[in-house]
Amino acid sequence: MIPRERCTYSAIVDRPPLKLPNQARIVVWTIVNLEFWSISRAMARQVLPAPTGEVLVPDVPNWSWHEYGMRVGVWRFFDLFARLGIRPTLSINARVCREYRRVARAAREAGWEFMGHAWEQMPIHKVDDQAQMITRSLDTLERFAGTRPVGWLGPGLTETYETPDLLAAAGIKYIGDWVYDDEPTEIRTTHGPLITLPYSVELNDIPMMLVQHHESGYFTQRCIDSFERLYREGAERAKIMAIAIHPYISGQPHRIKYLEGVYEHINRYDGVLHWNGVEILDWYLSAKAAP
Amino acid sequence: MLPSERLDFSAINQRPKLALPDGARLAVWVIVNVEEWDPTQPMPRAVLTPPAGGAPMPDIPNWAWHEYGNRVGFWRMLEVFDRSRIRAVLAINGSAIQRYKPIAHAALERGWEFIGHGFSQRSMQKVADERDDIRRTAAAIRDFTGRPPRGWLGPGLTETWETPDLLVEEGFEYVCDWVLDDQPVWLKTRTKSIVNLPYTQECNDVAMMLIQHHNASEYYDRAIDQFEQLYHDAAQSARVMALVVHPYIMGAPHRLKYLSNTLARIRDHRDVLFWTGEEILDWYLAQRSAW
Repeated sequence: MIPRERCTYSAIVDRPPLKLPNQARIVVWTIVNLEFWSISRAMARQVLPAPTGEVLVPDVPNWSWHEYGMRVGVWRFFDLFARLGIRPTLSINARVCREYRRVARAAREAGWEFMGHAWEQMPIHKVDDQAQMITRSLDTLERFAGTRPVGWLGPGLTETYETPDLLAAAGIKYIGDWVYDDEPTEIRTTHGPLITLPYSVELNDIPMMLVQHHESGYFTQRCIDSFERLYREGAERAKIMAIAIHPYISGQPHRIKYLEGVYEHINRYDGVLHWNGVEILDWYLSAKAAP
Repeated sequence: MLPSERLDFSAINQRPKLALPDGARLAVWVIVNVEEWDPTQPMPRAVLTPPAGGAPMPDIPNWAWHEYGNRVGFWRMLEVFDRSRIRAVLAINGSAIQRYKPIAHAALERGWEFIGHGFSQRSMQKVADERDDIRRTAAAIRDFTGRPPRGWLGPGLTETWETPDLLVEEGFEYVCDWVLDDQPVWLKTRTKSIVNLPYTQECNDVAMMLIQHHNASEYYDRAIDQFEQLYHDAAQSARVMALVVHPYIMGAPHRLKYLSNTLARIRDHRDVLFWTGEEILDWYLAQRSAW
């Protein structure tokens, strides 16, 4: 189905306001992405393009840069979120459970929500058998984490025309790929409705640092600007603000303090809920059913 | 016709004086661009490039990012215009009027001026039949608002060698694609001449945020720097200043306040007029006929 067939346009001002419990204004949804980058292929992202501009295999500098995130950067995240008492959603390539078992275990022990994020990091359009990859990914995460994930985020948020249908058929209840609203929405699939949750491409360290090349300090500023606006709007209707991070980017020594600064600012306010994807999904299902 | 055949060189300080009513120095116009991005075509802009490159179809993340502007971003921008009591110019793809009817209604209710902006969001050089595209756009606007559009802005400011000729023949009275002056200018066509109004590439959120990757605050800083200089330049002869916004860019929660602050700061000046394009056109035509 083409996207337009899955959802009808709707202006947010025309929808009945959703309300959060206890008059909360805003849900902050933190998503940590853990990926497996195969050294035998072109790297998903680059910090240092080759001097000639050629694609290298093996691409040692860019593979190493990502690897730093698993060896060093991610521990700064575990530390930070343990201190804050926040359990993020873990968007994890299933292959990470095998190749970086130690990291996946730390997330499991800390009670983070495991969300499907394909088998390994490449655009989903390039996967030969998408249905099989989805099943294999979810089976792997279920075996590792003990519960089957209900959420999914495509690598680079990629989808083919069929992806939502395949995900719904595989038992997924929510996706993060449709970053087109401040609220959850429903889209049609061949296997019934699928919920979309507002992930972020704005408060996301890939577009910010790797595409737009902002200075590290701007991360805090942009998150605060976004938070303050959404918090204000949250007086009228529930707002959800996602923060999407990667250990090899925001886990760098020169960036972690700017991530810390975001939570420091947010936590001065009342009415802020730090929820994961499952909690947002459960709230949405009951909130929209409420009279 | 070659661009250089459509208008002669002229130095701004050697032209007859332009005088705005009531001693005003500057006419400021704000253009809001509303587009429909076809999910079966490559996306005109991207916030999140796919991991390891390529051009996936569909491009869900970038389609959704733009869609956010029409679902959510436009509505918070509207609040800013309402509060500032500014009637904006809506540059809208012909097909977007039906697709995003609530937006078109909101603009109509407020007396915003509708100008043509291609039937769909693609280069005028890639359109199969340019005259038909222009005509269908004019018809879509006329059918919805009751009046045909007087102005035109090409998608991405694109034109063919013939565009101004066709616009005149199809009843348009002004065009915005020729961003080469701080005052209106006349362009020759194969029939009557057409006025070009000063649109902007500089105080434009696409250029600033998506191409130059500036912090959101740059919108304000640059607009005020621009304003102060044009205000100074206008001591002897009026100037026209444009501000351009797109709901998916300045309507993002982390950017809105910089637009809001820009309009508030400029509005503080008594000798500045916030006009629509046709108001600027009618004033200019009256000035010219007075010489």
